[in-house]
Amino acid sequence: MDTLKIDENPLDLAEKILKDIKSSEGMGLLKCIQCGMCTSMCPGARNSDYNPRDMIERVLEGDETIIEDENIWNCFYCYTCHSICPVGNSACEVNQILRQMAINKGIANDKVRPFTGFIDVMMDLGLGKIPSIFHDDLTRDIGEEWKEKNLHLDEIREELGLKPLSMPKESIKEIRSLLKLTKLDKRVEKINE
Amino acid sequence: MIKMYDTKPPISPKLDLRVGVFICRCGGNISDIVDIEKVKEFINAEVVEEFENLCSLNGRKIIRDSIVNKDLDRVVIAACSPITHEKTFQDYIQPLNPYLMDMANLREQCSWIHENPKKATEKSITLINASIEKVRQSQVVDPILCQTPESAAVIGAGISGINAALSLAKQGVKTYLIEKKASIGGNMVKIGKVFSPVKLAEECGMCLLNPIMNETIWHENIEIMTNTKVLSTERRAGNFNILLESNPRYVDEKKCISCGKCIDACPVEVPNRWDDGLSMRKAIYKPFSQSYPDAYTIDMENCEKCGKCMRKCPMDAIYLKGEKEITPLNVGAVVLATGHKTFDPELRPEYGYNRYEDVITQSELGRIMGVNGPTKGKLKMLSKDQVPRRIVMIQCVGSRDEKPDGHGYCSKVCCMVALKNANIIKHKYPDTDVIICYTDMRTPGMYEKYYKHGQDNGIRLIRGRPGEVNKKGDCLVVRVEDTLQRKFTEIETDMVVLSTAIEPSKGSEEIADIMDIGLTEDLFIKETHPKIKPVATDVKGAYVCGTAQGPKDITDSIMQANAAASKVAEIMNDGLEIEPFVAEIDDEKCNLCEDCISICKYKAMSIKDDQVYIDPMSCSGCGKCLTVCKPRAINIHGNIDEKIFATISGMLKDKKEGERRMLVFLDQVGYTAADNIGVNRIYYPESIYIIKVHSVNRVMPKHIIYALENGADGVFIGEYPGDLMYQEVEKKMNQIREEIKEHDMDPERLQFSNVYIPYFRGLANKFKEFDDKIGAMP
Amino acid sequence: MRNIPDKNVMLFKSCLVSGEYPGVESSTKYVFDKVGIEYIADDRQSCCTGLGHYSDVYDQFSTTVIGGRNFNIAKKTNHAKIAMMCSTCYAIHKKVAKLLNNNEKVREDVNNVYEEANLSEMKYEEGSIDSSNNIFHVIELLYNKKDEIGKNIKIDLSKFRIATHHACHYCKIQYEDAIKGFRDPTILDDLIKSCGVETVGWYDHKRATCGAGFRQRFVNRDLSMKVTSDKLLSLNEEKIDILVHMCPNCQMQFDRYQPFIGKELNIDFNIFHLNIVQLIAFLMGADPYKVMGIQTHTVPIEPLIEKVK
Repeated sequence: MDTLKIDENPLDLAEKILKDIKSSEGMGLLKCIQCGMCTSMCPGARNSDYNPRDMIERVLEGDETIIEDENIWNCFYCYTCHSICPVGNSACEVNQILRQMAINKGIANDKVRPFTGFIDVMMDLGLGKIPSIFHDDLTRDIGEEWKEKNLHLDEIREELGLKPLSMPKESIKEIRSLLKLTKLDKRVEKINE
Repeated sequence: MIKMYDTKPPISPKLDLRVGVFICRCGGNISDIVDIEKVKEFINAEVVEEFENLCSLNGRKIIRDSIVNKDLDRVVIAACSPITHEKTFQDYIQPLNPYLMDMANLREQCSWIHENPKKATEKSITLINASIEKVRQSQVVDPILCQTPESAAVIGAGISGINAALSLAKQGVKTYLIEKKASIGGNMVKIGKVFSPVKLAEECGMCLLNPIMNETIWHENIEIMTNTKVLSTERRAGNFNILLESNPRYVDEKKCISCGKCIDACPVEVPNRWDDGLSMRKAIYKPFSQSYPDAYTIDMENCEKCGKCMRKCPMDAIYLKGEKEITPLNVGAVVLATGHKTFDPELRPEYGYNRYEDVITQSELGRIMGVNGPTKGKLKMLSKDQVPRRIVMIQCVGSRDEKPDGHGYCSKVCCMVALKNANIIKHKYPDTDVIICYTDMRTPGMYEKYYKHGQDNGIRLIRGRPGEVNKKGDCLVVRVEDTLQRKFTEIETDMVVLSTAIEPSKGSEEIADIMDIGLTEDLFIKETHPKIKPVATDVKGAYVCGTAQGPKDITDSIMQANAAASKVAEIMNDGLEIEPFVAEIDDEKCNLCEDCISICKYKAMSIKDDQVYIDPMSCSGCGKCLTVCKPRAINIHGNIDEKIFATISGMLKDKKEGERRMLVFLDQVGYTAADNIGVNRIYYPESIYIIKVHSVNRVMPKHIIYALENGADGVFIGEYPGDLMYQEVEKKMNQIREEIKEHDMDPERLQFSNVYIPYFRGLANKFKEFDDKIGAMP
Repeated sequence: MRNIPDKNVMLFKSCLVSGEYPGVESSTKYVFDKVGIEYIADDRQSCCTGLGHYSDVYDQFSTTVIGGRNFNIAKKTNHAKIAMMCSTCYAIHKKVAKLLNNNEKVREDVNNVYEEANLSEMKYEEGSIDSSNNIFHVIELLYNKKDEIGKNIKIDLSKFRIATHHACHYCKIQYEDAIKGFRDPTILDDLIKSCGVETVGWYDHKRATCGAGFRQRFVNRDLSMKVTSDKLLSLNEEKIDILVHMCPNCQMQFDRYQPFIGKELNIDFNIFHLNIVQLIAFLMGADPYKVMGIQTHTVPIEPLIEKVK
């Protein structure tokens, strides 16, 4: 049996989420009536144990263990739920915020570590290339041609009348100094610990 | 310093008027605190009398005798609150005009709220003197009596309009029932069966409706006008001048015997709207078999004018050339019963309404189940001649949906409609599985029993809002989460029925536009107050009923129709006596700029015969129009401006060195709240002086500046936030604060506060705080 | 209604287009030139952070700082109508614009970062980039020129069954702005119609995501492939020849993994994947290798070109 203590406010978690920078203005989280429309169209729910309706229910109950729940990592960020929710809630945004909470708590480093390569490439080149850590997997699944394409990208681009991919040095410097000021490098360090 | 206003009141003192002051001891209620002898000493009037109970018949004698014998022109009654006894004393001062009397409130706003007899006595003197000054400015005005013609127009002849018309007719009101379509009857004629929550049964809708339609048709006080719509209206104190436009029927209803030979001859087939397009009809047609008028009509949009029907008609009733007819109508009241339409299911394309034949609406299912429908009551799939093995109903299509094109509200009837259709199916086709996918089943009151009855019949319920309908093989598939089982499900089915939302009809929007009637944010016709004035609209004399006002079922529609009819009967039977303090226009000065028309929140002004006309029924006397009238052509009866100046001047006249006086302006609501402070014997500072005004909007910047420059230490304005003028006044306050600053005074001396009648304690606190605040100022 | 521009356009370079399907960029430029859209591209523009952002490694604030910098480039080159080839670039920047306009604290913090970095000229002024009226998807600009496109079509594709895949990050995030709907999006179908070809319209899973799911493709491959195969199976059932895309990430998911999924399921999928601009360029007679860039595709486009000949 659960007891809802007299001084407990289960909406604390929801209110924290609503104040998050990722929350869209006027998001209808508190208006959720558990109709399940989100789940009915969710690719994650269709193919795994992820259930956006249930996630929202747990958020509204103030159940903080949702942050540690493995299933939240199965959302595709496809925003289908966001586009159809009859009360203007966005399970997709709530999910993103929960994942950020997990990262900030330091319990999701394993989940995001593979992707820090995106930030490395951004700091080095100002671009968003697929991190090299995934290249072997992709080559295995897609085929050698994909790797070949990467090797000859500049030639292909030239054939198409496009310049090689590069940003002016000055611009890369700007990006780097901006992202240092937002402490993104510190964030990556923490994730890589 | 900018000197914008005179320090002297812009009024003449009118010292030649003879004023009588009558003071009531109120059985000690007043005289125990207030020293009446002292008061009499300091009052300067032709007659100063006192009496134990002035409101008694003896009191009347004293007042009347003095008026007649001493030849009084004006009377001040220093007694209780005008809220309690103004009407009494207006009667007692006859033969004087009732508006030549003013009441000084010595009880609720003096003896009951102050403990110190000396201060209460001094305040009483001030209150009486202020009343004397005010009453000197009063003018003779007569209440306006509006006589309305004993006739009404009911717009829309569905179940609501028909009932409203019938009720009016039976109360002796001549009623015009105006219908845009070719027949009366509205949506109810289509729905087949209606549910009876008590009998747990479904009954034939037409069998219930037909007798009412017949009664309407035969009632001598009702004139039915079909194919007719409202072109324009003008109103004048309960007088509506309406212009109607009637489309020709192209069939003379007096000659037509409904033999139907014409339809055999007609070569044009179009989808039959009465069957929601599920069957076809000819270009010459009768909407349904019990239509009234019982005659055929031609749909000219589709008619090819081949003349074949004319040649076949034995009665020579058909004519192909017809003109629109314009009819003027003058009625005393209007009832809007313009009904609803249903949500376009194409706006939720994921449900596949336009893709799959077997996705239909509840309305279409009603036609299919109706014995007078396209399948003669046989349940069949539209794609093939087969009874569906399963039907899934999807609730809330377009309702409770804040996404684009959706409606935030609940359509109120869909749960019962779904249960009704499901029950009918379960009775006749027990092998067909019926599933209702719902978010909440809303079946309040007795309807809950019908819901249980449906469950007993084997209707199945899945709590979940489906996301999509698709076709897989020869089945439709509904994707839904069974939220109670936490299970994502794909339901295979033969048929899907969408419970589409009720939305405001086009007719409602059109008539609201024509009559300048307010709409809700959802575009239904707005009631004056959703709680306590559920049938009145913001146009006096115009009432609303049925689904034009919001989603509701047949029973509720009929109840509201009857309520609207009795509201109309009230004005017909009682006439209308209107307070005379309304705006009047000087046509000589008016330049027809129409600024007043656009600014009037009460919609009291309009153009009539090239002049601005002010409807006294609608005007509240708020005075907003005065502020925008550049040629100063508008005046409000009863010298309100002058009376405010005189009262201010009277309230401040005998102020002593070092004394603090704050003037508080309150309208009827605020004044009642202030009276309540007295009734509950809560004390507030003697420095508070309350002035009752018709509308706080009538307190102009010039009044406030004048008060502050002539001794008032502060001005407090209270307004009920529900008042139509509230935002207006609030905005004005900021401007006035600026002006106060320009006059080198502290703008904090002006305070604007919300007042509520039940929250009188709060008002008393605000008075105390205001007194403290002003007291702390240098 | 949003005003769709045809000049002062900054064509926003997409990392996935650049690296995976550069032909989308050359085709866009080709079609823009044909229909008369005035645009620039600027080397100083950076990645929008999208792929990393939706893999959760970026925080929203960093993304906003980067977005504000890109806005500044568009403004100072007087090409503040930004057109995206990638739906995630589109969504990221709309969100950034909304945050910068509506959230005073974020705007102040972002501007402080610019100031600290000695880049004060980047400071964002409230309202200077409007989510609806400054940020567009390339297909919106083309939709606005659909009559012009129709006039330039040289190839008839009517013997093929064509379906569309509308990008989630175009339709579903800022759904109020999606031209031609988001519950059953049809902007691609309508564009293709203006090329003289009817699409199949709705099909099961039409609105479903491609399945990339950002992190899912890389670290949760089986789940990702399951979602992609749901859609591929439905397309196969409809006997689709060409699936038309509007986002390089979706295109990558289908084009790169179709053979892989086919192998897993033992089904021979014969669906060509083309971006709408590649398709339009093709129908206008563009060179497959010098403009369309089909040499970077995994599912070969050559057989389609053969069939058309």
